[in-house]
Amino acid sequence: MHGFTAVFRKELTQMMRDRITMMFALAVPVFELILFGVIDMNAKNIPTIVFDQSQTQESRRLIEQFSATDYLRVLQRAHSRVELQQAIVAGHAQVAIEIPPDYARDLIGGRQAHVLVLIDGSDSTVASSALAAANGVILTHSVRDLIVEAHPVMMFNPDMRSANLLIPGLIAILLTFSGTILSAFAIVKERERGTLEQLMVTPVSPLAVVLGKILPYMGLAYGTLIIVLLLMRFLFRVPFNGSVALLLALSSVYLLALLSFGLLISSRAGSQMEAMQQAMGILLPSVLLSGYVFPLASLPFPLRLISYILPATHFIKIARGIVIRGATFADLWEPVLALLAISTVLIAVSARAFKKTVA
Amino acid sequence: MSASVGIDVRHVSKHFGTVQALNDVTLQVPRGEIFGLLGPNGSGKSTLIRILCGLLQPTGGDATVDDADVRTQGEAVRQRIGYVSQAFSLYRDLTVDENLDFFSSIYGLKGAERIERKEWAIELTHIEPYRSRLAGALSGGWKQRLALAAALMHRPRVLFLDEPTAGIDPVARRELWDLLFGLAGEGVTMFVTTHYMDEAERCGTVAYLYLSRLIVNGHPEELKKLPDVTPKGMRRVEVECREGVASLMTSARTLPYVHASTIFGTSLHLLVQENVSNQKIDEDLEAFGISSVAVRDIAPTLEDVFVRLTEVRS
Repeated sequence: MHGFTAVFRKELTQMMRDRITMMFALAVPVFELILFGVIDMNAKNIPTIVFDQSQTQESRRLIEQFSATDYLRVLQRAHSRVELQQAIVAGHAQVAIEIPPDYARDLIGGRQAHVLVLIDGSDSTVASSALAAANGVILTHSVRDLIVEAHPVMMFNPDMRSANLLIPGLIAILLTFSGTILSAFAIVKERERGTLEQLMVTPVSPLAVVLGKILPYMGLAYGTLIIVLLLMRFLFRVPFNGSVALLLALSSVYLLALLSFGLLISSRAGSQMEAMQQAMGILLPSVLLSGYVFPLASLPFPLRLISYILPATHFIKIARGIVIRGATFADLWEPVLALLAISTVLIAVSARAFKKTVA
Repeated sequence: MSASVGIDVRHVSKHFGTVQALNDVTLQVPRGEIFGLLGPNGSGKSTLIRILCGLLQPTGGDATVDDADVRTQGEAVRQRIGYVSQAFSLYRDLTVDENLDFFSSIYGLKGAERIERKEWAIELTHIEPYRSRLAGALSGGWKQRLALAAALMHRPRVLFLDEPTAGIDPVARRELWDLLFGLAGEGVTMFVTTHYMDEAERCGTVAYLYLSRLIVNGHPEELKKLPDVTPKGMRRVEVECREGVASLMTSARTLPYVHASTIFGTSLHLLVQENVSNQKIDEDLEAFGISSVAVRDIAPTLEDVFVRLTEVRS
């Protein structure tokens, strides 16, 4: 470990002096967080068209109830089913409701009444919101006839705010970027400029070079994490139900995995450009297959295998668990164990690869 | 092994896959001497330096640097050497001061000694006025001085310089060499690669690598006396002329007793048969219509040596 302090201090000075690095590590995550935080992924005010053939008190009450949900907004009236379909195809409306002529008669007569709800399936977020809203209205409307009554309770995130869901996952993604790319760059830059060779003819130990170079970035990534958590809690008012200390502690395992991955990239890439391209190779699956965008359960089997070896998959489980569900260490032992295993393998592989390249 | 040997290379070979970068290279550099290694690009100069610095393992053979084995005592080798690489390889985004602080602490210098050695290196290289400037903002000559200062603070016994003067102006080049002579006087062994013949002339020993083999190794004056350089029955003359040196060379080559001709500025160096007199050469050249030529005997230059030897080997 000879020379660790010297390398660490040098790297810290260079890191603080490099505006692009600081921008990349701090400003970009904050910008992305704000972007994701202000957008509500739940579709609201979905334009709706209604074809009311019943024209009765009952049918008007049903339409009012549809409008009363925040999700649907009745904007137009149609006079034929063809008109309904055209409105959806043209994109003027995303939901169309057709009430048949005998709706009121059936309802009063105690027969099963039918209502047709057409939903534009080309946008899955809108479609699922509309479907949920439509089902909700129909359910409450017909509740007097139901024998079994369902009372779904949405735990932890009762108002279904997407910020609450997205931000804890976003933390994992943002750290992936800064952790992997910055640590890969830190070493590739030295190789590109020949300074790594200059270091290797001094008595400094390779381990000291690796740790001395990577730890400042670990600190920087922690800085990013803390800023993001503060913004999450106080700007977006996402409730933090679990232990902050536990999240910070488990983050270090995740960061270690990311930094060693960066190190692995750096031992193969000859230039910063190459490193960037290789880093993108893991960043894209991390965004798409980690459960951040698509639910893990909906991934086909081979993709699910990939998702298991991505550190982000497990850290997202941990972050969501701690922030949203208030999970404890005991609740999270599975993802923690998986993350530890992945980190250990990555550290071992990258340390070997790095040693090979400098020797 | 003699205590007076700074670098000892015995039958060192290096392969990269099927490519042979060094083939059975043997050489010794006495302590406190400046050793110059020359050779075309790709002849293996940098490979040899990298092996001696412990950056590469040789495929065959042994080498010691200040009595430390480069194969097995890498740590000891690195503690005893300084390395100034071909391209500037200090930190451009750190100041001169910060670079020196970094390298002094990497080499394990501490406290008062560290300050003392740093100030010594600054004084030696006269880099004081640029202390707080970013290294990337220095000119080529000052960058090399900084690299030298960084490589010297830990009192290396052997200093490796890989084309240290490539791309610096003549004044800075001269000053750097004066510095190197000063260090050699203090007993530091120096291993320098260069393409400049005037620099080679200043070395105690020069060697020439050609196609991964060491084809010659010795003091510049000894090399000039090698039989291959001026073959038996031949001698060298210089022909001075005021104008038309290029056409003179073409004409001279048609003479039956001229074996080689090379232009040096406004004069021509000829390798001629020994039994032809200077007066005869003068008359024959005048016959080509070139006036005011003076012909005199000269000794071969180092360039003549290397050019002749590569011709002989290939």
